[in-house]
Amino acid sequence: MNTQIHTLQTLSLRKEYPGTVALNDVSVSYTGGQIHALIGKNGAGKSTLVKLIAGATRPTSGSILVDGKEVSLQSPRDALQRGIVAVHQELSLVPELSVAENILLGRLPKKTGLGGSIIDWKRVDTRAEEILVGLGVHLDVHARASTLGVAQQQSIEIAKAMSYEPSILILDEPTSALAQHETERLFELLRTLKGRGVVLLYITHRLQELREIADTVTALRDGSLVGTISIAEATSSTIVHMMFGEVVQSVRPSDLVYPTEPFVEVRSFSRHGVFEDINFTVNKGEILGIAGLLGSGRTELLRALFGADPVDSGELIIDGRGIRPSSPGQMKDLGVVMTPENRKDQGLVQLLNTRINACLASLNRISTRGFVTRGREQVYVDRNIRDLNIAVANTEAPVAFLSGGNQQKVVIGKWLNTQPRLVLLDEPTRGIDVQAKQQMFQIIWDMSKRGISCIVVSSELEELLDICHRILIMRQGKIISSVRPDEISLENLFAVCMKEEV
Amino acid sequence: MNISSRLRLFFSSSILEVILVLLCIMLAFSASGFLTADNLLNVLRNVSMQGVIAFGMTMVIISGEIDLSVGSAVAFAGCLTAFLTQKLSGEWALLPLSLAIAVSILITLTIGFLVGTFTGFMRNRYQVPSFITTLALMTGLSGAAELITNGFPLTPFPAWYNFIGGGYVLGIPFPALLFLLTFAILQFLMNYTSFGRTVYAVGGNAEAARLSGINVSRVKTMVFGITAFLAALSGIMVSSEIMSGTATTAKGWELDVIAAVIIGGTSFMGGVGRIWGTMIGVVFLGVMMNGMTLLNVSEYWQHVVRGTIILVAVLLNLLQKDKGGR
Repeated sequence: MNTQIHTLQTLSLRKEYPGTVALNDVSVSYTGGQIHALIGKNGAGKSTLVKLIAGATRPTSGSILVDGKEVSLQSPRDALQRGIVAVHQELSLVPELSVAENILLGRLPKKTGLGGSIIDWKRVDTRAEEILVGLGVHLDVHARASTLGVAQQQSIEIAKAMSYEPSILILDEPTSALAQHETERLFELLRTLKGRGVVLLYITHRLQELREIADTVTALRDGSLVGTISIAEATSSTIVHMMFGEVVQSVRPSDLVYPTEPFVEVRSFSRHGVFEDINFTVNKGEILGIAGLLGSGRTELLRALFGADPVDSGELIIDGRGIRPSSPGQMKDLGVVMTPENRKDQGLVQLLNTRINACLASLNRISTRGFVTRGREQVYVDRNIRDLNIAVANTEAPVAFLSGGNQQKVVIGKWLNTQPRLVLLDEPTRGIDVQAKQQMFQIIWDMSKRGISCIVVSSELEELLDICHRILIMRQGKIISSVRPDEISLENLFAVCMKEEV
Repeated sequence: MNISSRLRLFFSSSILEVILVLLCIMLAFSASGFLTADNLLNVLRNVSMQGVIAFGMTMVIISGEIDLSVGSAVAFAGCLTAFLTQKLSGEWALLPLSLAIAVSILITLTIGFLVGTFTGFMRNRYQVPSFITTLALMTGLSGAAELITNGFPLTPFPAWYNFIGGGYVLGIPFPALLFLLTFAILQFLMNYTSFGRTVYAVGGNAEAARLSGINVSRVKTMVFGITAFLAALSGIMVSSEIMSGTATTAKGWELDVIAAVIIGGTSFMGGVGRIWGTMIGVVFLGVMMNGMTLLNVSEYWQHVVRGTIILVAVLLNLLQKDKGGR
């Protein structure tokens, strides 16, 4: 195996797009055998830097040096040949192919003879097996990718990356879809790679991970390099300062009262094999968290409450009536709405502009006898922008142009326009920067003060402890406990979620 | 914004309109008889029967679906109207001729709408792609038209029936009026109603639309229903123009209609498109055909040119989007 210590350097790397400088003369220098974290809020230039290094786009000026030699990268293919491999946030596996096929996709070993066009399945399996064993991952190479969990799929992505024998490996937010114990496994994998002299570039939004995994921390802000420091020097406040300059952290408001008037009662909600006999009550204006690992049934429960997925039995008691949720339309009319986990594909119609997206769920309110005008919609979207502090230059431009945090705010605005009574939020802060996260907390608290109940599902347990009145803990499809944030520590909460899983 | 960038924006966002105007100017000089009121009204009349369907097809394609059955639906509707008229007034002698025609038209339009909702039902209930259902309908309706006419044109219509497809109101062809009326209604529907918004949303991302509380099935069913209704209307217009129910009319119309919609800038991926764009696409093809006929271009060449236009128009739309997107 390759144990050469590789290096990566950029010299005054610059990327300009019409009207903006995405990356402003950034010079960094990284050595192999270490994990280099790259941080910065959305739009800071992280992804531009990664794209340049991975050959996905070309710099306006400046150069990239691998192992001390300047490289000119015309395409991702070029980069791959130089041993530069990027694992992106979105997984890119082919679901119907096997683990081995996915790892060696496009480079399946061929038999000699017959023009080298017959796949040598034996070598496919042994080669894939080799790579997985080298990474300490135990997976059946014949399993179909679609049958595996997200964490295992992530391991395949990394195995695939490793099959190129990279000298430089870039990981773009690899933990955003992972539960805590899965993250641990990923970190072990990364530590293995460190030992091989690979330059590891690690992009993350989760600051608490840095101390655990990174050796150096590089911050970008507004396209410029703020600096690189070793992890020993990096205190939380230094890191936050590097990313944001000066920011005000919004803390839990003191006037958040504990609501006691019951609003919705969930009675023996069950869906075979997913969740079972779920019972709880949400009070008016209460922020109720649901903690649990990926696969605990938390997202499925939320979707079922919204009528997005069917349930086998159980009902919701709203306004004294028993309801079996059957469609999102029905639940919306009752004032129960949901912001989905995957806002890009499920929360918004990316092709359409911000105005139409923001008004999509409340057309019956905005229209008179089915007639809608742009002016009338504008009133609603303007109010959303003002109330939720959405940064949008042009409400007539496709919503796809907005950052993750702003898109999430549009999703929430869309629902606020329907005057909801219970908002179900599935991973409301996933993939958005710390500042936007703080604003999201504020939005949830504001809703609570206005008497809107919220149920929040989040993988980030500390977040639930920060924002919720009460937290339900789900494990293997059942609610096993209900706690108040001031009664439990993060460690204990985590331990309760994990039990029996390991 | 200064004048030159404003002009550039205008040209890049209205490229098809600009090309259409240039084409008309060119034809005005080169083809004698092009720029006369008679000829232009004639163009409008010629495009009107396919045109009414094209507006419906625009909605179908925006909603992310396709309807291949419209050509056969035209033939079927014409035959059905003729068949019912013949039965009601002749064989069964239930109604006087004019009333029989009125009833036949109503029944035909209703059945047209129901055929569309059937496509929607298959799509929503059994997830049968609309391509498949409408492909089956294309063959099935064509066969049904042959069946009820026994393969011969039915001619039960009195002379005044010719008004629908061949008459004039204040010098304007009546079918052209129906075409403009359909345009106005669907333009309004798509731009100023909740329903229009939901059509775009469903085509742009059906799951996001569903999770916004939109009844996706109902939207798709309505869109298919409206389109099949318009195809039935077109079939009645055609039967009036040729004064018979003939099973072999309107062969291949579905492709002409889809071509006009695509030229008008509607995306085959769904979620993007305009009724106005289809209007331009329909008129563009009409003017092109008319111009070439006036210039004595052979019919074979006309087909080649038509094919080229479809490709170029789609390319222009894509390039324009690329530029506008970043």
